[in-house]
Amino acid sequence: MNLWKDFSNGLLKENPTFRLVLGTCPTLAITTAVFNGIGMGIAATAVLVGSNLIISLIKKVVPNEVRIPIYVIVIATFTTIVQMVIKAYSPALDKSLGLYIPLIVVNCIIIARAEAFAAKNPVINSIMDGLGMGLGFTVAITIISAVREVLGAGTFFGMQLFGANFEPALIMILPPGGFLVFGLSIAAFNKIMSLRKV
Amino acid sequence: MENSRFLVSSSPHIRSGETTQRIMLDVIIALMPALFAGAFYFGFRALTLTATAVVFAVVTEVVMQKILKKPVTVSDLSAVVTGILIAFNVPVTLPLWLVAIGSIFAIAIAKQCFGGLGFNFINPALAARAMLLASWPVRMTGWVKPGADAVSTATPLGILNVGEAAGQALPGLWDMFIGNIGGCIGETSALALLIGGAYLLYRKVINLRTPVSYIATVAVLAFFFGGFDSTVMVYHILAGGLFLGAIFMATDYSTSPMTPKGQIIFGIGCGFLTSVIRFYGGYPEGVSYSILIMNVATPLIDKYTMPRKFGEVKKNA
Amino acid sequence: MRDYIRLAGILFFVCAIAAAALGFTNSATYDRIQEQQVIASAEAKKAVLPDAEEFENLDEAALTEIKSNTKYNYITEIYVAKAAGNVIGYAIQVAPKGYGGEVEVVVGITNDGNIQGIKVGNNSETPGLGKKAATADFQDQYVGATWESPIDVIKNATPKGNEIAAISGATITSRAVTDGVNQALEAARELSGK
Repeated sequence: MNLWKDFSNGLLKENPTFRLVLGTCPTLAITTAVFNGIGMGIAATAVLVGSNLIISLIKKVVPNEVRIPIYVIVIATFTTIVQMVIKAYSPALDKSLGLYIPLIVVNCIIIARAEAFAAKNPVINSIMDGLGMGLGFTVAITIISAVREVLGAGTFFGMQLFGANFEPALIMILPPGGFLVFGLSIAAFNKIMSLRKV
Repeated sequence: MENSRFLVSSSPHIRSGETTQRIMLDVIIALMPALFAGAFYFGFRALTLTATAVVFAVVTEVVMQKILKKPVTVSDLSAVVTGILIAFNVPVTLPLWLVAIGSIFAIAIAKQCFGGLGFNFINPALAARAMLLASWPVRMTGWVKPGADAVSTATPLGILNVGEAAGQALPGLWDMFIGNIGGCIGETSALALLIGGAYLLYRKVINLRTPVSYIATVAVLAFFFGGFDSTVMVYHILAGGLFLGAIFMATDYSTSPMTPKGQIIFGIGCGFLTSVIRFYGGYPEGVSYSILIMNVATPLIDKYTMPRKFGEVKKNA
Repeated sequence: MRDYIRLAGILFFVCAIAAAALGFTNSATYDRIQEQQVIASAEAKKAVLPDAEEFENLDEAALTEIKSNTKYNYITEIYVAKAAGNVIGYAIQVAPKGYGGEVEVVVGITNDGNIQGIKVGNNSETPGLGKKAATADFQDQYVGATWESPIDVIKNATPKGNEIAAISGATITSRAVTDGVNQALEAARELSGK
């Protein structure tokens, strides 16, 4: 029971993008295409689960004074591993995400969950939390990417949706569009969540 | 004992009879000469674009206020003014659906999402123009020469900004004054805008501080940046959306400073930014961006130009 | 003091394990990553000179001589294209300065001075405008141009001969790509001695 709650927490109630508003930097920067959204989501989830797992495993032996450097080492190691795997197996994703793959190290979601959850909870629960938060993040940025890609480029996952007469709103794939869609998505999410409570 | 001449009530005790509606109506009247000039030079389409912009602005405001469960205030005519200004900022060739999107963005996002009339932090019409320009740059720069056949042209600022349209001749100063040039619907005729501005001054809707300081700053800087050439200076005053911006948009109440000193600083700031963008920036025209940037700076300007309250002691005396 | 030793020790231990994990992953993926890079670079060259069987780097001396000439300031790499052992042309990589930064272009020029193709790569141009330079429609315009005279960029008219039409709203990008291609043409002409 508890395990399910730890997992589902990150999907809706404490969705890292729409509720906790963490990891906004990649959210704004890479969500110009669904391919990017899904790719980044999976990469970040891999790092999140890995780091939550390890940090929860070693929580008893980590001295309080040096816990932050140790968390960062663990997260950086997983990020580098994920980066190498992406470079080897999907150069296309590497090219699209570019600098934002190594920036997963400083994605606030990961260090926040390490400090707030993995450092205080058992291993299995931490894995569940990592998966839930990661999945919540992935779904959130994929939704934002879908809106931006369809309206800003007329494609979905690279496939042309409309005919030649469609003139996309370029602003959607530019930074201002990112802020607009992000803000309106948070508003929509809050509205839907408030309806659910009742 | 009762004395009916002693009434007890709270302030205000003197009312001016001004209503938002009356002020907005004055602005609409002031914009009519420019609308007429736009229709005269660019044809009937100028009127249909303006009408579309206004209709969508008003409808969006009704819809948004209903969704947000607020009282519907379209009768204050502020959405109408925004609609007209949006249309004035686009070329006459713009498709109707684009100007509709502009109106929806201006009212729904720039105005209502932030709290409605008086609470918006940037000029909604300019925000819409910036959004349209970023999204559909080719459509938004499809200017034509005045007259029956739609011959595409560059605006005078585009011609001045060499690298844009080298080879086209600059129109004469008289043409620039009356509006016989390429450009957006409402910005071309300096004469029509001045008439509107004079009306607004007469009706005390705007005061001289911001428009004069804005235009004067552009004049001075155009003289300097343009190589101490007074013809360049006059061209820059008459070209682009300077008059439209200085008279109608930099003077918008909720997005410009309240204090007299602040209004002059605002005008100078707009003038400075406009000139820098025109001469050194990547765009030929800088009015919309300068006003938007100064809009964002307005709370700061207000904070530092607040007059001291009577009797208030300065902190570090 | 004991405390610091303990803390340092734990940090050292964690770093050592991290380093081991990274070293392991690195060796597991290194070869594949190298492969991917070679494939990517060969792909671009093959796209612009489809008849070539192999590409060799131009020899150091010749490359340095060309790069030291200021009229070739955009040229970054030159590859000699060969088929059946004979030189059939050159794939030249240029990086002219566009609107938002450098625009990478690979130009494929045959021995007799014809452009077989160009490919626009990494760039920071505006999406919807300058980025259109990477589309086939724009790039195909350069096919068939020769080194007889420099290519010209024209607007609002149908291009003929050695002319290409600029992208509407992206003149700077169009000019940049053309400048890069023109330098590549000149360099290829010099190299082939014609």
